[in-house]
Amino acid sequence: MWQKIREGLNLRIGLTDLVDSSLKEHRVPSDTNIFYTIGIVTLVAYFIMAVTGYFLLMYYVPHTDHAFSSVQNIMTNISFGWLIRMIHIVASNLMVALVFIHLISIFFMGNYKKPREITWLAGGLLLLVTLLFCLSGYLLPWSQRSYWATTIVTNIPTAFPVVGEYLANVLKGGEAISGVTLTRFFSLHVGFLPPVFMAIVGLHIFLVWRIGLSVPPFSKSAEEEKPWTEYSHTTYAESYPFYPHFFMKEVSMVMLLFAIIFFIISFFPTMFIPEAANTPADPFKTPADIKPEWYFLAPYQMMKLIPNKFFGISIQVIAIFTFLFWPFFDTGDEKNIIKRPALMGAFIILLSVWFALTFWGRYS
Amino acid sequence: MRYFCFMIIVVILSITVPVSAGYRELFEKEFLSKPWSSEILEESACVECHTSEAMPVELRSIPQEWQLSWHYQNDVSCHDCHGGDSTDATMSMSHKRGFTGTPKYTEVPEQCGKCHIGILEHYIESGHGKALKETGDGPNCVTCHGAHNIQQVSIDIINAQRCSKCHSYDRAKMMKQALFLTDEKIEKIDEDLKQLRSKGVYPEKEEKRLFDTQAKFRTLFHSIDVARVKSETDFYTEQLDSIEADVQKTYDQLAFRRKFSTFLMLIFAGSWIVASYISKSYKD
Ligand code: HEC
Ligand code: HEC
Ligand code: HEC
Ligand code: HEC
Ligand code: HEC
Ligand code: HEM
Repeated sequence: MWQKIREGLNLRIGLTDLVDSSLKEHRVPSDTNIFYTIGIVTLVAYFIMAVTGYFLLMYYVPHTDHAFSSVQNIMTNISFGWLIRMIHIVASNLMVALVFIHLISIFFMGNYKKPREITWLAGGLLLLVTLLFCLSGYLLPWSQRSYWATTIVTNIPTAFPVVGEYLANVLKGGEAISGVTLTRFFSLHVGFLPPVFMAIVGLHIFLVWRIGLSVPPFSKSAEEEKPWTEYSHTTYAESYPFYPHFFMKEVSMVMLLFAIIFFIISFFPTMFIPEAANTPADPFKTPADIKPEWYFLAPYQMMKLIPNKFFGISIQVIAIFTFLFWPFFDTGDEKNIIKRPALMGAFIILLSVWFALTFWGRYS
Repeated sequence: MRYFCFMIIVVILSITVPVSAGYRELFEKEFLSKPWSSEILEESACVECHTSEAMPVELRSIPQEWQLSWHYQNDVSCHDCHGGDSTDATMSMSHKRGFTGTPKYTEVPEQCGKCHIGILEHYIESGHGKALKETGDGPNCVTCHGAHNIQQVSIDIINAQRCSKCHSYDRAKMMKQALFLTDEKIEKIDEDLKQLRSKGVYPEKEEKRLFDTQAKFRTLFHSIDVARVKSETDFYTEQLDSIEADVQKTYDQLAFRRKFSTFLMLIFAGSWIVASYISKSYKD
């Protein structure tokens, strides 16, 4: 049976040849580490979001009168609706964490350097799109928490003089979060962002494929690397085929991702849905202790601390641009961060400031 | 090129930062204090003036007391009890705008009864209500609940100190005993529902049923008729039992969910181990 299907496909589209030429002959350096699989795991996390999101969409009603109750309906009445929604919630948080890990590991290994600048740029845009996904999706359950956390985040643009107010109002579709904001965020979340994400991720992965995975700067073969003067697929001193060697590594990491998702759902089901997420939104009642999600805590806390808000937001905008175009600033040949103490120091300080601000924001 | 961009940014910043400095207060007002770091009080002229220096000191703490109350949480404000116009500071205490002033001792039940209708009915027919009307020495609502710092009730309102002011505590005690079991059940279900909420469930239907049942039952006390409370207890026990069964079902459902997702977790953890073992077994 299998044999027959395979032969049939071989006859028509040359399956074996395709697999051989595009998967088996595609080489991966054999001294890659575990962080090289995170990109694929992130991609799988995105597909988990897409599939579960699609099912949620069947029952969700984007209207202020029904949003909350339709979500509760999914949680209580629709069979296995709870599972779908829990996976969507948990995977979204894990996806953000994964993007951060992916980014940090790539930065740490200097893999954004020539010829991978565009890959980095596309990746940076993916991070922003991911955060936009979170921001817009967060409002949809129309709970106390989603309402007020969104109020906080959408107020950040007001830090710009003159245009700030206008920007914030465009985002919200009015002076305050309302039904208009809900429909705006809803169409953003399910209509606009997914194709944008797919397009950028397509470019990102095409570039990785075309250029070839980089070699970690700490490995032996890295020392033999010649400067990049003209295009050719990256060559490696030691390598193995993408399929099945590297592929199986990725499969195992994806299984780990699923195991972690279900671990959280089983044992910490309320990790990402505290009580305020179980209370319908009430624009007239500010809950006592409302905070943005953990990945927005650091910028939020920073905005609270810096006395001049315009200065605060400028730092953030400059930081985003520096981050996006970093490979074009940092053009030296040295990839190994251990041999660059200044960069290493700045990197560690930045990370610790981020963590410190997050904890400060969380417990203040 | 790089340095050029950098210089431009520095220049822009160094010009705009001082320029926008005055923007700061405006922004702080909008960004930090308004919608989330403090509660938005519905601006009420009553509250504003009654907390100000214009007030005699002994009355100045009333708005504070009220802000701690359950009424405050349910948006029952000064003008809902005292009448008047909370939007217009100069005319707010005018009788033309419906201001009724401080109710007399005997008028309090009518004032509260505007909203707590069932309770007022029971109260009027009760020994307490009759005593208030006839001789003026029955307890009114404020005697037992207070006027401004009104909290959610519990059976502990019936205590030796409060109820032995006018008669022996024995009567009160019999009443308390008659209420006790049902009241305890209400508290337990209430506690369970709170638990469910913290577990990520929104038990709206059950909460509403419990609220209705408890409101009806707690109204009953105001008749201060022990025999009546006893005879109606069975009805309420039945109602509460049915709510409790539904709550239990939700708990069972939660237990099932945990088991189910633990099962999935184990499957994937197993696959992880197998897959990573296979991936290590490949030789180049
Ligand atoms: C401009 C200030 C001001 C405003 C606004 C105001 N009050 Fe008063 N109110 C007073 C002062 C002063 C007293 C104290 C009078 C006294 O006892 O000498 C008072 C007394 C009272 C009393 C007790 C005395 C009585 O007449 O029985 C009540 C009840 C009261 N206010 C309710 C209200 C309500 C309800 C509102 C809003 C609809 C309100 N007040 C708005 C200043 C104000
Ligand atoms: C639940 C109904 C209710 C609400 C809400 C309420 N009051 Fe009263 N208030 C009363 C009653 C009943 C009395 C009579 C109290 C008594 O007999 O001790 C009273 C008495 C007063 C008095 C006279 C106290 C005295 O000792 O003379 C003032 C002043 C007053 N209220 C102001 C306010 C203000 C200001 C607010 C809003 C912050 C407010 N009240 C909200 C029911 C209410
Ligand atoms: C404007 C309508 C209104 C008036 C007038 C009013 N209440 Fe209330 N009261 C409410 C509402 C609404 C609630 C909250 C819903 C609930 O818990 O029953 C409440 C709740 C209460 C509770 C707590 C009930 C619980 O759930 O444990 C008590 C006790 C109470 N009121 C007593 C009084 C007394 C005493 C007065 C008169 C001084 C009064 N109320 C006047 C509307 C009113
Ligand atoms: C302000 C005085 C006063 C307070 C305080 C008071 N009572 Fe009474 N109570 C009365 C009066 C007056 C009567 C009716 C006359 C009588 O039967 O002695 C009465 C009667 C009763 C009766 C008997 C009713 C009947 O029809 O047989 C009960 C039961 C009772 N009270 C319970 C309580 C409880 C419980 C409390 C405390 C929460 C309490 N009382 C607080 C004044 C008070
Ligand atoms: C003798 C004391 C006493 C008096 C007088 C009294 N109450 Fe109560 N009230 C209680 C007690 C005790 C409870 C709690 C009963 C229980 O736990 O079953 C209660 C419960 C309530 C509740 C809660 C019902 C619910 O929904 O949970 C409200 C509201 C209330 N009273 C309002 C009033 C009003 C309005 C008046 C005046 C008409 C009044 N009470 C007079 C003692 C009193
Ligand atoms: C939604 C988010 C993202 C997805 C799905 C994704 C996916 C991937 C995949 C599948 C790879 C190849 C395997 C690997 O190295 O892990 C990869 C590589 C890479 N990614 Fe991402 N990525 C994302 C976000 C980012 C971000 C935020 C950055 C940095 C700004 C980034 C920068 C890079 C770079 C430079 C490479 C090349 C690494 C190399 O060749 O070794 N990516 N990405």
